[in-house]
Amino acid sequence: VVAAVLAAAVVASSGVAARPLVGGGGAWADRAPLQTSRPFNIAHRGSNGELPEETAAAYARAIDEGADFIEADIEATKDGHLVCFHDTTLDDVTDVADHPEFAGRRRTLEVQWANNVTGYFITDFTLAELKTLRAKQRWDFRDKSHDGISPIITFEEFIDIALNAKRVVGIYPEMKNPVFMNKHVQWADGKKYEDKFIATLKKYGYGGKYMSPAWRAKPVFIQSFAPASLVRAAGLTDSPLLFLIDDVTVRTEDTNQSYDEITSGEYLDYIKKYVVGIGPWKDTVVPPTKDNRLATPTDLVAMAHARGLQVHPYTYRNENKFLHFNFRQDPYAEYDYWINGVGVDGLFTDFPASLRRFQEWTAKKKD
Amino acid sequence: MKNEEKKPIQTFRPYNIAHRGSNGEIPEETAAAYLRAIEEGADFIETDILASKDGALICFHDVTLDETTDVARHKEFANRRRTYEVEWFNVTGWFVVDFTLEELKTLKVKQRYSFRDQQYNGMFSIITFEEFISIALDADRTVGIYPEIKDPVFINKHVKWAGGKKFEDKFVDTLLKYGYKGQYLSENWLKQPLFIQSFAPTSIVHVSKLIDSPKVFLIDDITVRTQDTNQSYWEITSDDYLAYIGKYIVGLGPWKDTIIPAAGNYLMPPSDLVARAHAHNLQVHPYTYRNENQFLHFNFHQDPYAEYDFWMNTVGVDGLFTDFTGTLYRYQELTSPHRKDETANSLLLKISQMISAYEGL
Repeated sequence: VVAAVLAAAVVASSGVAARPLVGGGGAWADRAPLQTSRPFNIAHRGSNGELPEETAAAYARAIDEGADFIEADIEATKDGHLVCFHDTTLDDVTDVADHPEFAGRRRTLEVQWANNVTGYFITDFTLAELKTLRAKQRWDFRDKSHDGISPIITFEEFIDIALNAKRVVGIYPEMKNPVFMNKHVQWADGKKYEDKFIATLKKYGYGGKYMSPAWRAKPVFIQSFAPASLVRAAGLTDSPLLFLIDDVTVRTEDTNQSYDEITSGEYLDYIKKYVVGIGPWKDTVVPPTKDNRLATPTDLVAMAHARGLQVHPYTYRNENKFLHFNFRQDPYAEYDYWINGVGVDGLFTDFPASLRRFQEWTAKKKD
Repeated sequence: MKNEEKKPIQTFRPYNIAHRGSNGEIPEETAAAYLRAIEEGADFIETDILASKDGALICFHDVTLDETTDVARHKEFANRRRTYEVEWFNVTGWFVVDFTLEELKTLKVKQRYSFRDQQYNGMFSIITFEEFISIALDADRTVGIYPEIKDPVFINKHVKWAGGKKFEDKFVDTLLKYGYKGQYLSENWLKQPLFIQSFAPTSIVHVSKLIDSPKVFLIDDITVRTQDTNQSYWEITSDDYLAYIGKYIVGLGPWKDTIIPAAGNYLMPPSDLVARAHAHNLQVHPYTYRNENQFLHFNFHQDPYAEYDFWMNTVGVDGLFTDFTGTLYRYQELTSPHRKDETANSLLLKISQMISAYEGL
């Protein structure tokens, strides 16, 4: 499987026809479809509880484990390529610090409203240079035995992984830090980051409204924290969009709006013309108390559902430090609460295998 | 409620043994922890029995009070801190055996681990063996008890009872007083299920003469020698030893990381202990299963359900000591649920349906 994925990646990046290489024609058309009867299992950065985030291995693992969607953050390199990477700096999840040839590139830039960040910025590296780096596991309490093995992959390589799967697997790419990307990277003929992002999806045949036959064949959600980018994308594609919402203290990076503003009834009425759902941080939907228990839920889910908007909160993790005490250190109790208690429509999880297991076992129990 | 009316204990799938009660959520070995465990579906509630200075049998795990009580805040006990030898090692602290039951009852229990819920600290007291038994017998379904004869060498050294009685004798007296008796799966056992556990083989042999209830021999880590007979792990897990001790016990309770050792937090090839135990017709009840990821090997992807799945379906153990009764119960109910009540009629219907499928052939 890994060899096939790498082969596909090599071919795709050299610009050969953008369609899946294995299966083809009839075999591909017979693939098991995307399930749409229960909340979506969204593998947040791949199966990153087990493998370094946003690598081919993490995505292949997530697909093996039954994820409905594989999720990625799309950023731009110095020479305008789109890659799967979450942070604006390379420090936390790559071995860049072990590369003396890049030592002089460490610097400080503003990222998202007077937030100064110091590190090796992805926008200061060409794709070829990034490909010499190796990914590592972000958290020290997770498995580090795969550190130093996998490279960063491109948006196109990510899409190939989904299209090469033996069943229909959706993609869930994010227009990540678009203000920062557009500030530091320029494309020919005045194209913006959002334009290149959508162009890549179209090249691979993604298009069609939510639940249309075209969408079911190639499921996709386009997500972003930046409303202006979503509006721009809506003008270029009819694929479904999702509006991400950060913590209560964070303002939107492009329109400088507060949490209260963008979760108001008026704003949801506005943004629902462009998006099919919202993706809030789960601790804003049901805030925790200072002794790590759940406080009263807000009405955000009700307000979203009343407007026909889906809710896909982030992020669900198995480790007990991320679990509020109501769940008794049991990640399945958390899934149970959010799926059956709160009633969300999709979940971004670092552990797609656990979510899958929970959904499969509780589905059996109902029979 | 009469025993005959209570829902019986399940015996078709591995036992859910609430290790020190539901201590993942509530301070260990308290009434609240045991009540929570029963609520969550435990088959057995487990406890460690030690003795107070005046010979009362209490539910408490450590020989010292330091880790799980507020003893350090009681000025009246400040001068009782001392050092004793316990199971071949020197230990310093406030020892249970230096406090009368009345004094112990003035203390309040706290959650041992800082990463678990601290909100119940200071609310609950230490309970006695008899109080523990009452909790089980008062439940509205049949709940078994799984008490341990804990640190018997140490207890017998520091606590004396009238009439030359030993700790093991008082332990059994308490059980007999409440009507516990009967071999494994006997009628009486099914009404009042009981496993007696201990790390000390001579204590097990001793109580075998006093009560016919089933006993389980606990086995510690590979570096630890038995406290009474000073034997090594390798000796007490040998075939010869299992043949010997097998005359007195129905099962073993090993530390799970000795059954399948780990390296780099990944599972290594398993030892043959489970296979040999089963060959000697002994059950295996490993300890202890915990939800927190620091206790989970990477094979399980930080998922306690994956760990249960592996131990029950791949290794094939017969019972599990868990700090998280609720999670184990949920796992078992999802994957091997209680059979629905079947009447004779519904069974006959099923049989006739099976036959009629072949009638036209």
